[in-house]
Amino acid sequence: MSAAELTDAQDRRAPAGAAPVGPGRLPWRREAVAMLVGFAVLALLPFVFTDSYSRHVLIMVFIYAVVASNWDLSLGYGGVFNFGHIALFGIGVYAYSLLTKLAGMDPWIAMAAGGVSAVVAAVAVTIPILRLKGIYIILVTFGFAQLVMQVIISQSEYTGGTQGLVRIPTLYVFDHNMVRDAKFAYFYIALGLLVLSTVFLRAFVRSRAGISIVALRDNEEYAVSRGISLVRQRLITLAASAFFTGVAGAFYAAYQRNASVEVFGMSLATIILSMVLLGGTGTIYGAIIAAFVLTVFSEAMADFGAWRPMITAVLILVVMLAYPGGIFGMLKSATGVFSRRWSPPS
Amino acid sequence: MNTAADILFGGLFQGSLYAMMAVGLALVWTTIGVFNFSHGVFMMLGAYLAWQFVAWGLPAYVAFPLAVAVMAGAGWLLQATVVRPLIGRANLVLVVVITTLAAGSLIENGALVVWGPRSKQVPPLLEGNIALGGIGVSLHQIAIIVITPIILAALWFFLTRTRLGLALRAVAQNEDASRLVGLNVTMLYALAFGIAAALAALAGIFLGGYRFMTPVMGADPLLKALIVVVFGGISSISGPIFAAYVIGFFEAICSYYFGLYWTPALLFAALILTLMVKPEGLFTSGRSRGLA
Repeated sequence: MSAAELTDAQDRRAPAGAAPVGPGRLPWRREAVAMLVGFAVLALLPFVFTDSYSRHVLIMVFIYAVVASNWDLSLGYGGVFNFGHIALFGIGVYAYSLLTKLAGMDPWIAMAAGGVSAVVAAVAVTIPILRLKGIYIILVTFGFAQLVMQVIISQSEYTGGTQGLVRIPTLYVFDHNMVRDAKFAYFYIALGLLVLSTVFLRAFVRSRAGISIVALRDNEEYAVSRGISLVRQRLITLAASAFFTGVAGAFYAAYQRNASVEVFGMSLATIILSMVLLGGTGTIYGAIIAAFVLTVFSEAMADFGAWRPMITAVLILVVMLAYPGGIFGMLKSATGVFSRRWSPPS
Repeated sequence: MNTAADILFGGLFQGSLYAMMAVGLALVWTTIGVFNFSHGVFMMLGAYLAWQFVAWGLPAYVAFPLAVAVMAGAGWLLQATVVRPLIGRANLVLVVVITTLAAGSLIENGALVVWGPRSKQVPPLLEGNIALGGIGVSLHQIAIIVITPIILAALWFFLTRTRLGLALRAVAQNEDASRLVGLNVTMLYALAFGIAAALAALAGIFLGGYRFMTPVMGADPLLKALIVVVFGGISSISGPIFAAYVIGFFEAICSYYFGLYWTPALLFAALILTLMVKPEGLFTSGRSRGLA
């Protein structure tokens, strides 16, 4: 049964305005408890890992997890092959850097502004792809990402061009010293970002809007005939996936204190996309788990030099060939506790 | 007169290179319906193999064809390992993007381990420079401008005038019907990938002969090939070839009048505009399998 048919069946039962509850769908209370436990465990990690290197790895995991799980919203749930997602992250990086460094804006406000800039960019890139499908969306969004990068490189008097920007103002928490606490404060800011983003994403995909974009993905003609607007939902999907991606970019800039055009590069895009696909599309949690696995795996092999990306590549290939459902699908079939309704699109 | 000569020569040269880069990508897309994101890495590997064979003492006229032949085998191998097992998956296009990217990363870093990061250069096809219409050009560039149309014409002849080529195009148009009339679809997939990889290797040898090669040299040509294929329309082989020359001249004109910095931005803006107005590409008529 496709999601479109499910929505249809549920429409008759559910009161108007309420999000339909499908059979076999995990009740939201149980999911909320599971999420709470999961994040509580993550919140205790700085007390286990007290050195700044381990915390740095975890902070990078959280940043990647936010970017990958938001990509899963447009790619996995929406079925929109948005290859410009990394550009939204890069726009967050540069919006924050330019606003704090050149305009002297307050870092926290600039972080929100990074998210808003990414939303504006997402709407701008959605307009040309409203008529397009499949591979054409990949190519236009890919072109968009390259266009943004080229514009940033060419405006070198503001952006530093290929040199990038350094000494970007960072975040502050009252008078707390952000440098000498072994990344304690950064850890909780990053975790807070991941919590907000994940709660938002899960609430979105469980809402009527979330169900309608899955319906559009699975059976566009039928969903449209049931009164779902393709144009509106696609705009909402891309805009929703952009905000926390942009904020994550802003946080990344504040944390690294520098910005370079490498954030638009193929290697970062490949890594984040592998997280989405390795985790299993259309799950949100899968991308977060894969961000954790891939980042820690890659850090653990830091001594292998040029062999590291090769081992990572082989890992990606093996999982893609052997487990179409990704890591989340693997876990799901191993434990069987998750409901059938969460199965990723095949 | 120098302006005209500059633009004419620059456009022809870039156009020839882009055509060589893009035609293999287009061939794989039209037959199998996937984008091979390791195409750029194949150009790199072809160039490095050619360099290696020359370093072993083989003359260039043996080393270059040998590199191209080995790469055809590599293309077949790639297809057999990371593309064919996935045929039939619903999100095939997306999964192949990631598997070919991963395979490309594997080859790229493998080349880094084997050959190291120091830049190398393949001997040019022809040594020397000449002055032509008031500008100095190298014979290597002239050779590329002359050889590319010959190879493209040979490919066109193969695809339209030979049984095997017609079979390839039949698979591109309707896979199920091709199977029904007894074509070996699996073998034809392998053939398409093999030819594409051989063409990529040749493009790599062209590139390696006039600028230094590094293990990451494939990234930029891949991007250019993608743009060319999108511009030209991804349903045919001839579309991207015309588009390659159009883009070559577009770039030559832009970089002459607006400067090198603005050329990529203008090109991408033109690309997005083209797709908004004519999503199926400039040189196509009717619908392609890409619009599914």
